[in-house]
Formats: sequence, structure tokens, C-alpha cells
Amino acid sequence: MNDNYEYILKTEHVSKKFGDLEVLKDINLSVKKGEVICIIGPSGAGKSTFLRSLNQLEKITSGKIFVRDELFLHRENDHTVDKLPREKQQQLLLEMGMVFQRFNLFPHKTVLQNVCEAPIVVKKEKKEEVVARAKELLERVGLSDKADAYPSRLSGGQQQRVAIARALAMNPEIMLFDEPTSALDPELVGDVLQVMKELARSGMTMLVVTHEMGFAREVADRVLFMADGIIAEEGTPEEIFTNPKAERTQNFLSAILDA
Amino acid sequence: MNDFSLKKYPKQIITAAVILLIVVVLAILKPGEQELLSRTSPEMQKLIEADQHSSRKRVTVTYNSLLVINYASLSTSGAKEMSEKYVGFLGNVYPADEGPAKIAGQMVNYTYRMLGVKENLMHGAKLTILLTTLTVVFGILLGTLLALGKISKRKILSKLSGAYIFFFRGTPLLIQMFVVYFTVPGIFGFAWRDLFNASDAEAVYKGAFLAALIAFSLNSGAYCAEIVRSAIQSIDKGQFEASKALGMNYAQTMSRIIIPQSIRRMIPNVSNEFIMILKDASLVFAISLMDITTISKNIMTSEGSYLVFIPALVIYLVITAFFGFIFDKIEKKFSVYE
Repeated sequence: MNDNYEYILKTEHVSKKFGDLEVLKDINLSVKKGEVICIIGPSGAGKSTFLRSLNQLEKITSGKIFVRDELFLHRENDHTVDKLPREKQQQLLLEMGMVFQRFNLFPHKTVLQNVCEAPIVVKKEKKEEVVARAKELLERVGLSDKADAYPSRLSGGQQQRVAIARALAMNPEIMLFDEPTSALDPELVGDVLQVMKELARSGMTMLVVTHEMGFAREVADRVLFMADGIIAEEGTPEEIFTNPKAERTQNFLSAILDA
Repeated sequence: MNDFSLKKYPKQIITAAVILLIVVVLAILKPGEQELLSRTSPEMQKLIEADQHSSRKRVTVTYNSLLVINYASLSTSGAKEMSEKYVGFLGNVYPADEGPAKIAGQMVNYTYRMLGVKENLMHGAKLTILLTTLTVVFGILLGTLLALGKISKRKILSKLSGAYIFFFRGTPLLIQMFVVYFTVPGIFGFAWRDLFNASDAEAVYKGAFLAALIAFSLNSGAYCAEIVRSAIQSIDKGQFEASKALGMNYAQTMSRIIIPQSIRRMIPNVSNEFIMILKDASLVFAISLMDITTISKNIMTSEGSYLVFIPALVIYLVITAFFGFIFDKIEKKFSVYE
């Protein structure tokens, strides 16, 4: 695989329509390895849709997506113009771990089985190695004592930390977080953010859609403010939070921070 | 996890224990076969005695034992016809000529025959249960394939599965069975019984059973397809997304994530389907298989006993209750993670 790349992930003119509704309009983003990018903005701005179209949970209407500088997918008007061969695509998709708002753990499998499932089934790794790594990951997210519990026995915060461990078990290069704390009770948010901060410090490339401004401010290298399907403003946390230029950003931040 | 505790079900457990105790006591007190036969009249005793030293038996003895009650009927043929019937219950032997003892004797005899106690699997309740169980197993397997076809993105597969389901749900099972039993061999020039050893006296029954099983399974597949499809589609979309995000392909997602979760949701509907098939199985009387219904109808016709259908209903009810219980247990077993 190509290891000499400039951007681990890049989009050019990505747009997405649901029928007549244009959710994403001409999104351009370049992500370097090790960057932590937080995407903030009002609901309905297209943040989740953008994140989900990066790992193909949504098909973009038009635009180009590059992974490791290779043209991963190019679509125009809902037709695929160019793409990598299926197997190559599949291989690159494994480099993207995803954490969902609603956890989406497999309820019929224990915590340990949840974490081990994909490496064993998809990557055909040896079971003993995967289990050992899974146990380390569970320890890292502070849940080694829950390995044999079913997800329904865990709190939301614990479930989300298992979901993070599950994504990390595939050894991804980049982690996508889709509002990871939005479905949690307020007192459970801290533990999850703690795990994410630790992950950011360890050098993981992260794309985080979030409403946790404190987290964005502390951890992000760059903050994107999205509204109405466009990136309305982009900058360091300093620039966005203390000195926002766009009026939409100012309104949004004052509404959130005053609340 | 184990919710079968005394605390939660005190009433049920005590009731079950009391019933069990009563049954055990009644079964122990029940007079044995020898005791029943020794109550016969002196003339009958002489004939039985004579039979022991003769190769030509003159007395026909029918003995039926059902748990707490038993029944013996002795009849002779020839110049001097005699017939005696006895019912054994609670340590006593009653002559079954009239009144409650007669009815009890008949019930024991009919139930015994409809259960097919002394017969092989091609008779009575055994046949009904065998046909129903095998039909559900094949129905679910076929139904799963059809359901995957129906929800498939490939238009042809989806249309074909849809047509299959439409056909088998839109036509009567009885005629479907006739088609398999009469029309198919008619067209292709074979006979169902020829598929089995000609020297086997049961070849006719086995052939008819195979035909019935095929027709029932094809029919049940259509109904199970809808059960499986609705269960699969009731699984949260997030499960598909999480599987996809982890790199699992369609087959892996289905077999490891979606279907295992669907199974629990299918169980109540499969239980329903099981009961429907159990009752539909009575249709095999039309191709002269000896199931509960056929036997009861035969008893009605040959012995003119209009009461025979009451034990027939009870047998069906007991089978339904038993399998309902089994399905409940299976559902609990699959619910450990909830």
C-alpha cells in the first residue's frame, strides 16, 4: 500500500441530494495523518451525512473522494465516473473506523465478542491474537471487567466505549465519530470524551462530529463549522471559538455557549 | 437468567406437583392386564384356557393401557359369539357394558388407537407430529432462502420469490397436496409407493407421507418466508451500518449479525405457524394417510361412535400445549442477551 501520501483523506466538490433536498453542497476537505478535526454546527447542517459518505454508508451525488491520495470514488449526478477496484476499496475502507451516535453494538454478542468479531471474520486473524488485543483495548477504555457481559447490561457510556474499542480492534488509520456523546446521559459523557482525548493524544487521525464545544476546543487541531450543507467557516479552535468571522458561526456559538 | 424459581412461580409449581402426584398414584393403583382378564365370565375363562393348548385361537383380546386407566375387550367368533369389556381404574375393574364405564372404555380405546401407541411412525399422533415437525424445519430453511430472495436488490430474485410466495399463499394447501400426490406422478409417470421397497407393507403410506411432506414444506416455505422477512426487516438499520463499517460483506452480515438476532423475533410466529400446520396436517386424510383425523373418521364410520371426535380434539389440544411450552422455552433461551 502507498505509504507516501500527503493526505490520508481528501474530498473535492462533494455534494449529496436526497431527492430535491441538497444536504451537502460542494464540500472540500483535506485531512493529514494525525490531525484531529472537529465538525460542529446546527442539526440538519449535513455533518453526519458528510461523515457517513466518507465510509460509503451514504452514496454521494457528485464529487471526488481520495484516500491516501488515490482516487477512491468519483461520481457525477448519481453516476459513478471512476472508482478503485472493489477489493482495493474494501481494503481502504478497513482503514476507517466508525463510531455511531447510537453505538450499534451487536446485542447478541458479549462485549469481548463484539470487539473480536470483525478482526476474526473480516481480516481472518488468529483468534488468540485478536482476543489478547481485544482485552488490551477493553482495558484501555476501562472496561476489562465487562468482557463477558452483554451490551444490554451496560450503561450508554460503557456501550459507547465498547464501540470505540470495537472500531480500534481493526487497527484503523482514521477514526470517524458521528456525535458519539449525543445519545448519552450528561453524567456519562465525560468517560467517553476521556477515552477520545487519550486516543487523540496517541496520534490517531480523527474526524469528530460533535456538540461538545469544550472537547473541540481542547483536542481539535482544526474546527469546521458546517451550516446548510456547506463549510461556513474553518480554523483553529482559537479562531473559531474566540474570534468567529462568519455571522452564522457567531450566532450558533452564542446560542450554544449562552445556554 | 434462570427465572424458573420457586419464588416466581409458586402456584404453577405446586399445581404441577399435585397433578403429577395424583397421576403417579392413579397409575400405581391401576389394575394390571392379568387382573382385568381374570375378571371375565367362567365361559370366557374356559375359552381362554382352551386357546392356550390350541393353535386355533377363538378369543380376540384387545388390551389398551393409558397411564391411569386401562381397557380390555374380549370377543369370540364362531358358533357361540360372546363379547365382554372391562375398564380398570383406581384399583377396581368395572364391566364396561353401560354408563360411565362404557364411555370411559370407549375413550381409552379410541385415544389409544388415535395415538397409534402400538403402531409405527406412519400412524396416528406420531404421524401428525412427525409431519408437522419436519414441515416446520424444511419450511424455515426454504423460507429463509425465499426471504433473502425477496429482500434482495436483484430484481429477478426478488420477483421470483414474490411470485412463489404469492402462488403458495393464494391457493389451497389441499389442492397443492393433490397436485404433488396425483398430478406430478401422473405427468412424470411414476407412483409414490414405488419409491419404497415393494415388499414393504407400508410402502403406500410412506409414499403418501413423502408426497404430503413435500407439499406441506413447499406451502410452509411461503408462510415462513414472510415470517423471516419481517423479522429481518425489524432489525435496527444500525446493525447493518455497523457491520458494513467494520468491513463485513453481505453474507457475513446476514449470517453472523442479522439472522441470529432475527431468530428470537421469529419464534412466536414460528410457534404460530407450527400450530397452523399441526391442524392443517389433518388434510392428509384426503390421501388416506392414517393420521389422528383419518383414524377418528374411520372409527366413526365403522363403529358408529359419534363420541370419537372428543378425544380427537383433546389429543390435538395436548400436542398444541406441549409444543407451545417448548417454543416458550426456546424463546427464553434465545433472550439471554436482552
